[in-house]
Amino acid sequence: MEAISDFLITLPIGDFVATHDWVWPFCETLHFVGMCTLLGTVGVVDLRILGVAKGIPIKLLEKFIPLGVIAFLVNMVTGFIFIAGNPVGGPMEYLTNLSLQLKMLIVVIAGINLLIFYVRGINRSLESVPADGDAPRGAKVVAVVSIAAWIMVIIMGRFIMYNDTLLYALGL
Amino acid sequence: MLEAIENSAYAVWVRESPSIFAYTTILSLHAIGLAIIVGIHTLIALRLLGFVKEIPLQPLRKLFPWMYLGFTINLFSGTSLFVANLSNDLGNWLFIAKLVFILFAMINLELTKIHVFDRPGPLAADGLPKNSRVYASAALVLWGLAMVAGRFTAYPNFVEAWLGF
Repeated sequence: MEAISDFLITLPIGDFVATHDWVWPFCETLHFVGMCTLLGTVGVVDLRILGVAKGIPIKLLEKFIPLGVIAFLVNMVTGFIFIAGNPVGGPMEYLTNLSLQLKMLIVVIAGINLLIFYVRGINRSLESVPADGDAPRGAKVVAVVSIAAWIMVIIMGRFIMYNDTLLYALGL
Repeated sequence: MLEAIENSAYAVWVRESPSIFAYTTILSLHAIGLAIIVGIHTLIALRLLGFVKEIPLQPLRKLFPWMYLGFTINLFSGTSLFVANLSNDLGNWLFIAKLVFILFAMINLELTKIHVFDRPGPLAADGLPKNSRVYASAALVLWGLAMVAGRFTAYPNFVEAWLGF
């Protein structure tokens, strides 16, 4: 962690954040916009796979996923700025924060879940599902994991600044 | 009156309890509700603006109850956070601006439901009910403004300095 932190401190991001007061709230707002876009695209595909709003062909809804990927990239960049540019406690404050560590772990789980969706051919199994039809069971499992993971990512994200309540609840 | 609300048992619990279910969970619920309503409305707005035109409009109507779920979560969580911070919030014009933008965004949501989804009427040349694009653009702008004002509620001094107040 210290090595990562030492590297991040050498980047000019911290200076930029410290000398431009608009950067932090601007990135926070973008982070929220990215969150909504990700949930509104990937989350709606998941809901349809689970049988919500039948009549929408899943294959067509999947065309919104690239937008969700863009939203995710926006949040990777803004999230990186928060960690590398933290003006008060520096990167270490975040890197050692249990809520953030859990959040990153769940992001990785969501990523693996998405990989399974494509690698195991689950996305192809959805192509033949009629507009009013039921998705195969495998796709439903992926959809449940996806929704649960992104909701947990939001929760753990909000916990970062209130990490003490998590530690208190866990008895740490 | 304001003090009585701010010092009520519930407001104090939300604000001061070290429990994981107090402030932090309510704040998390507020982000989840936001993601649900704004995320779904963004998807619907993009469809109305011509993104993935092949998606039939009618089944998208079934997503409205989910947006109302998001709104209900945020009405509850938002009211809880509001009573816990009453005097601060009421004195913050960015917070008031956020509420106004949300009010307009919800009126726009209802108008979209009534005029685009529940009463299609004659379709325009592009196959959409009349004014669909206006409602869709308004949705993106109003939710965007609500989120900007909401986030900057935490930075009233910055904003006042930038605007030269």
